Amino acid sequence: MVVKCTENNDTCKTRNKIALLNVTTKIEFMEIISERSTQKTSLKYLGGGTEFAIIFFKNIILTLLSLGLYYPWAKVEMLKYHYQSTELDQARFSFHATGKEVFRGFIKIYVIFILLYGFLFYALQTQNQVMMVSAIGIFYLFIILIVPFAIHGAVRYRSSRSSWKGIHFKYLGDRTEFFWLYMKGVLLTILTLGIYGAWFQVDMRKYIFSHLRFGNLSFNFKGEGADLFVINLKFIILFYLTLGIYSFWFYRNLVRFYVDNTSITQNGKEVKFKTNMQAGDVFELLFINGLLIVFTLGIATPWVTVRTLNFFFRFLEIEDDLDTNAIQQASYDDYDDAAGDDLLDFFDFDLL
Amino acid sequence: MSFDVHFFDGKTSRTHKARVTTSSVNWKIAYTDEGSIPIEISWNPQKVKKADVYTKGLVSFTYGDSFPFQKIESSDEDFINYIHNSHEHLSSSIDILLHKSKGKSIVFLLLGIVGIGLLSYFYIIPTVATGFASTLSEKNVIDFGDYVFRVITTDLEMNEEASKKLQIFVDEMDINGTFPLEVFVAESDEMNAFALSGGKIVVFSSLLEKIKTKEQLSALIGHEVSHIENRHVLKNIARNFGGTIFVSVLFGDINGATTVLMDNVHLFSQLSFTRSLEKEADIFGLDIMRENKLDLNGMPELFEILKKEIAVDVPTYLSNHPMLKDRIEYTKKIASEQEKVSENEVLEFKWQAIKEAI
Repeated sequence: MVVKCTENNDTCKTRNKIALLNVTTKIEFMEIISERSTQKTSLKYLGGGTEFAIIFFKNIILTLLSLGLYYPWAKVEMLKYHYQSTELDQARFSFHATGKEVFRGFIKIYVIFILLYGFLFYALQTQNQVMMVSAIGIFYLFIILIVPFAIHGAVRYRSSRSSWKGIHFKYLGDRTEFFWLYMKGVLLTILTLGIYGAWFQVDMRKYIFSHLRFGNLSFNFKGEGADLFVINLKFIILFYLTLGIYSFWFYRNLVRFYVDNTSITQNGKEVKFKTNMQAGDVFELLFINGLLIVFTLGIATPWVTVRTLNFFFRFLEIEDDLDTNAIQQASYDDYDDAAGDDLLDFFDFDLL
Repeated sequence: MSFDVHFFDGKTSRTHKARVTTSSVNWKIAYTDEGSIPIEISWNPQKVKKADVYTKGLVSFTYGDSFPFQKIESSDEDFINYIHNSHEHLSSSIDILLHKSKGKSIVFLLLGIVGIGLLSYFYIIPTVATGFASTLSEKNVIDFGDYVFRVITTDLEMNEEASKKLQIFVDEMDINGTFPLEVFVAESDEMNAFALSGGKIVVFSSLLEKIKTKEQLSALIGHEVSHIENRHVLKNIARNFGGTIFVSVLFGDINGATTVLMDNVHLFSQLSFTRSLEKEADIFGLDIMRENKLDLNGMPELFEILKKEIAVDVPTYLSNHPMLKDRIEYTKKIASEQEKVSENEVLEFKWQAIKEAI
């Protein structure tokens, strides 16, 4: 309590100062408490189908009119919309990529592929057996070798260009290290006729997540290849036995495997992601999406995209322990090379 | 003017509830920090960057050229309206217009897409494809024809003897074409004949058997040569597959387009031409006959033979050539205007040789 002090009473003044400090701390503490208690740690996707449809169709028109040249800008605008529509703790995510960066990446990829195809067609028209076989060999070898670099580049670019509450993501993975991890995985997968594939996927994810930062938060993936293998094996066996109906359980298991094994570390404390998706939910999502696409001849695509993202985030939860107000910004990786991201796009492979 | 915003200082993820007061000189952002100390930050409006894309009920901006970037987010309707009305570089008027009456915008955009699609599919693609086919170098045209021929002939049994005789006949004809002609007779019950780009003509034996005179044969050859010389085959392929490739590329399936092209090589022998292209080929064929001093009536006679066959069976060759009756009429008319011709004895001699070979 603060009382009125006589002019020379130092003890009184000190006491008052402490009292004031206490009050401020209390107020601040109460504020934090109130903030913490109203704070929602589930992610929400707030995008609207109609709103996204306008963006989607506008970009299709611009891409058509520009004979495809506008595609990078279209891609960036649509991704920006999805980021901006994703909310956590009353703040939206941001995607900072620019059409120009993505366009530069595409130019790189197209030059590489035109050269590669040029070489391939040149070799094929010589009708020389050795030349043809080696050209096809080189072509596929190149594609296998470039994928790890593309994944590395894509993850680094996307991380660098993603933020929330002004805090940026950052990918610290090493390109060479990832390349060898990838090559080992490809070789073992081929040698084991695909069985190692599950372990390979998990290894890549572990590597990427362990090198991903969000400010001073770090990520971790602790799924096991064996578990993923069992999920896949069950799918292969049960898919035919149940005439495909098992797919919904498979999808749920897969999402659970990826989400529930992911965690964030904040100040040495582990915070887990969780999803409580059920097979019935997956069925509802896919069944209605299918109906929408078929009966509108594809016009419903933007609504389906929004439904799907909404669905995914509806079931995604972060354990309460995450202090969303205490994340410290770390250094910034201004990586503007979108070529990796574009290459994965070229292969029709999307990162999430 | 001042508005409610959420301010992020770029150093931590703490959400600061702030007021932004805007003027043309600066944006002043005021909030109290953790220690209840009031803080005021000034932004130069020229350096404010629009962080994201149009989203209803939300605006967000970042500030500065060097890391860490400060950011504000706001769902204050007044602030959103203020930005939309007075800051052109921070909002897009087209987007605002499009999002104003959503239903209408979607209909308008969809009509636009359909319009562009139809225009491309029916006008731009065929024009570009035909242009491409016309400008392709002769060597490329021949190489392509050779490639298709190699694939197609694996399923055909050639009559070597008849082919040789037919080649002699064609060589004897006076045809000043760009492409070197190579003719083949294939054993088949099908009443068919087709030309491949670059100079190859395949005539099926059953059709050759029905032909009675050298004039009728010349009409057939003249017609096919026209398809070759005018690059009808290539133009047709380009038109047909241009559309397919367009659709594949539109849906991002470049591999699909290649597969379609490779898988359908066999269809190249059964392409249908448009009526105008067929007529062009007929007229051109008649010119060749005239050059060779042959009776032009061979052309309508050939059509009569084909027409008769139609009643029995519907051969591919015919089904692709619509309005046979019309063609008989106009070729007859042209033939009637021809002056009397003397007998081309050399061709008659070569024709007899073919007759013996089949």
